[in-house]
Amino acid sequence: MATIYNRSRTINWLALAPIFLIFVFVIAPVINIFVSSLQFESLNLLRTESTRNVVWFTTWQSLVSTALALTVAVPVAFVSANFKFKAQRLAASLISLPFILPSIVVGVAFLQILPSSFHRTSFALILAHVYFNFGFASRLITARWIQIHPHLDDAARTLGASPFKLFTTLTLPLLAKAITNAALIVFTFCFTSYGVVRVLGGPSRSTLETEIYFRAMQLGDVSGAMIFSALQVVIIAFLFVVTTKATGKKHEQSTRPTITRQIPLRTRKQRVVCTAIISSATAFSIVPVLAIAFRSMNTNSRFTTTAWRTIFSNPEITRSITKTLTYAVTSMSLATLLGLLSACSIAYGNNKFRFISGLTTLPIIISAVSIGLGIIITFDTQPFDWRGAQLMLPLAHTLVALPLAMRIISPVLEAIPDSLRQASSVLGASPRQTWLNIDFKIIRRASISAAAVSATVSVGEFGASSFLARRGTETLPIMISRLLSRPGDSLQSQAFALATLLVMFSLAIIFIVDSFTKDKFSRDSHA
Amino acid sequence: MRIKGAKMQTKFLPLIFVASLIAGACSGNQSSDSDNASTPTDAPTKDSTTESNQAGNVTLTLLAYDSFTPSPNIFDDFTAQTGIHVEVSLGGDAGELVTKAGLTSGNPEADVLWGVDNTLLSRAVSKNIFTSYATKNLADIDESARKLVPNNEATPVNTGDVCINFDVNWFKQRNLAAPLTLRALTSSNYANLLVVPSPVNSSPGLAFMLATIAEFGQDGWDEYWKSLKQNGALIVSDWTTAYYTEFSGSSGKGDRPIVVSYGSSPPAEMIFANPRPATAPTAVAALTCFRQVEFAGILRGTKHEPEAQLLIDYLTDIKFQEDLPLTLFVYPANTNAKLPDDFVKYSLRPESPLQLDPNLISSNLLFWLDEFTNIVLR
Repeated sequence: MATIYNRSRTINWLALAPIFLIFVFVIAPVINIFVSSLQFESLNLLRTESTRNVVWFTTWQSLVSTALALTVAVPVAFVSANFKFKAQRLAASLISLPFILPSIVVGVAFLQILPSSFHRTSFALILAHVYFNFGFASRLITARWIQIHPHLDDAARTLGASPFKLFTTLTLPLLAKAITNAALIVFTFCFTSYGVVRVLGGPSRSTLETEIYFRAMQLGDVSGAMIFSALQVVIIAFLFVVTTKATGKKHEQSTRPTITRQIPLRTRKQRVVCTAIISSATAFSIVPVLAIAFRSMNTNSRFTTTAWRTIFSNPEITRSITKTLTYAVTSMSLATLLGLLSACSIAYGNNKFRFISGLTTLPIIISAVSIGLGIIITFDTQPFDWRGAQLMLPLAHTLVALPLAMRIISPVLEAIPDSLRQASSVLGASPRQTWLNIDFKIIRRASISAAAVSATVSVGEFGASSFLARRGTETLPIMISRLLSRPGDSLQSQAFALATLLVMFSLAIIFIVDSFTKDKFSRDSHA
Repeated sequence: MRIKGAKMQTKFLPLIFVASLIAGACSGNQSSDSDNASTPTDAPTKDSTTESNQAGNVTLTLLAYDSFTPSPNIFDDFTAQTGIHVEVSLGGDAGELVTKAGLTSGNPEADVLWGVDNTLLSRAVSKNIFTSYATKNLADIDESARKLVPNNEATPVNTGDVCINFDVNWFKQRNLAAPLTLRALTSSNYANLLVVPSPVNSSPGLAFMLATIAEFGQDGWDEYWKSLKQNGALIVSDWTTAYYTEFSGSSGKGDRPIVVSYGSSPPAEMIFANPRPATAPTAVAALTCFRQVEFAGILRGTKHEPEAQLLIDYLTDIKFQEDLPLTLFVYPANTNAKLPDDFVKYSLRPESPLQLDPNLISSNLLFWLDEFTNIVLR
């Protein structure tokens, strides 16, 4: 994209921090563990039938989950982007909630809700994946949809387009990039999901990610695990390249409209449709959460608040609550800053830094096991013996949140027409002033969103944390998983009480942020 | 309080180190105030700090699996006796511990590792993660466990059994005899009643698979699993799901009355229950039990080998060993340790549990698990 900043040297420096961090904490450790453990005999694994089965199952369940998640997300986005209604912010917060729940908790919650004939089926697994991802997908799509100028719709309607025609020929093409973006991320999450697969898929449904863990940890076959890990990266990377080739060329030069698309519900039909969509989506989001909360107040089939009283009087747990919140604040700041830097270097870097977009996704597409083991063998000598360092946990959370943070800020930044900046520049503003007064003001809202998502990712992160946490640095999801694996019904109830607490933290974060980003453009000039 | 102190210590370890150097120079007392709970006597009055200074600054890291939950202040005595602090670091399940220790062999993350069991032992030994040590308590340790480590590669710390557990009331209500042998589980009387955690990612599940290999031999065990599967055995991914979600005898209200769990699950059901039921709700089929032995070892490359040896002595000594039954629900390896009455009353110790040679296990494990996956899971 051509912007007035393109000639500035500072752009090169902006890219440095994210590149450095990903290189040091992801790429170098992974290369290290690969080189030091890979044996060529393990390549034979690729030819076995069971490997083919695993790859096939991983792929089809991800495809189906992604398709279904989008099917649910698009109507929700339609309502959120086009209408204004009561309790909109609350509904939006609740719908975003599943995305940040720790996967083990969701798995156990679904076991509670689903009749036992659905346990350990692909259906349960896919349902949980849809549950996890539809809210996030609808957020991404809504963000773009809101930017489509309402006058475009008016023009189409004036020219006689039916609502269906309008959607397929105008809205859908404009949303294409946001939808593929969302689909890619959802696919990646479903493809690499671990906790849900373990709990809901049952032992006969292994995915690449669970195979990697099983090989490395249960069998001690790190080499075989690395082969699977590489296979996983290759498959996802291939998909990224193909879709980026297909959609990446177009730049949608449509800015945030000065008038809002969101109109109040007027007709009866609008009311019925919107209520139906939003209330069923909200119900879908909160039923598992209610099941968790209910279970936390139920020990040995009796109603009791013992679990709640216990968790607040247990010093280990209260410490873990403090840790969780401290890490959330740290990784929120880091991820937002780095996301901002990455987004800026991609937008202003003459396409030179477009690769950062791929680079930031590495922490989610490379299996946590490979990164974790890599870190253990890489940072093992003084003065870099950081294996038990406190900083590792928020850093890991930052890396997991970074791709999301960047993807929230990036589209908004890229949609700013350069004419705005040129105008500012012509009027005598320095590039710095222009950036602060144009770009920053426009992406402020997206940045706050990115911060919220990063904070909630950190609160609920489990995979990397379980690897890096040491005594005294356990976050809530780790405490939950430990309690769940211990005998005794009262400990199980405590796990659910903590899970409920986690949900409340995340909900609070989303809610606070959503009220920050309250729409300032809600002039209702749309007829 | 102790836990908090231990944590403060890691976080500020460098700080404390520097501080203690300075403090040592000024002949102050070396332990940070948060440790007072654990060393209540020595701090304020002692003037001659020099001789205890050396040991007082050592903090050993004891790496253990996630479910390592001894009594909170159990290491206070050790600290009082030796001046050495112990920080417990939990690092996932036992398999994870061994894999990570294997990768960092010679440059370990901790000083002592707790929790390698007999299914993982030969992997740990072949990766050379331990440095051998003969504890002073060796003579008191269970002989069959000691035989597994002839060169003291690691030290046995506890034993336990994985057995078929059943819901006593379920069988009583239906006037049915509970299954007492592995073979019985394939009878149509017990169709669709059994739930098993998968050996692929659960350690009791693995022990149960090994039990069937020990019982039916390497030629017969796959046939056995085929009939188990035909008889409607349910395989779930982990022990928690099997025991708490599917089993009817636990609090989870599942609908299957037979489960693979620990020999010590019945006492756990009683001891954790509030109010305590009149009779134990679950029981164990003694002939189905597979013996699990857990080991602790000094990680090769530790900077505190002499101190680590003291810790191994402490872990195998009476005090610590007697803490194990009611906290980890395992039997002490030290034969002189006394068992709590409740534990003896409700648990069942099989006379001749099923066993397999650790070397046989490690050389065949991959093959067996593949076989299992093909027979049962596909």
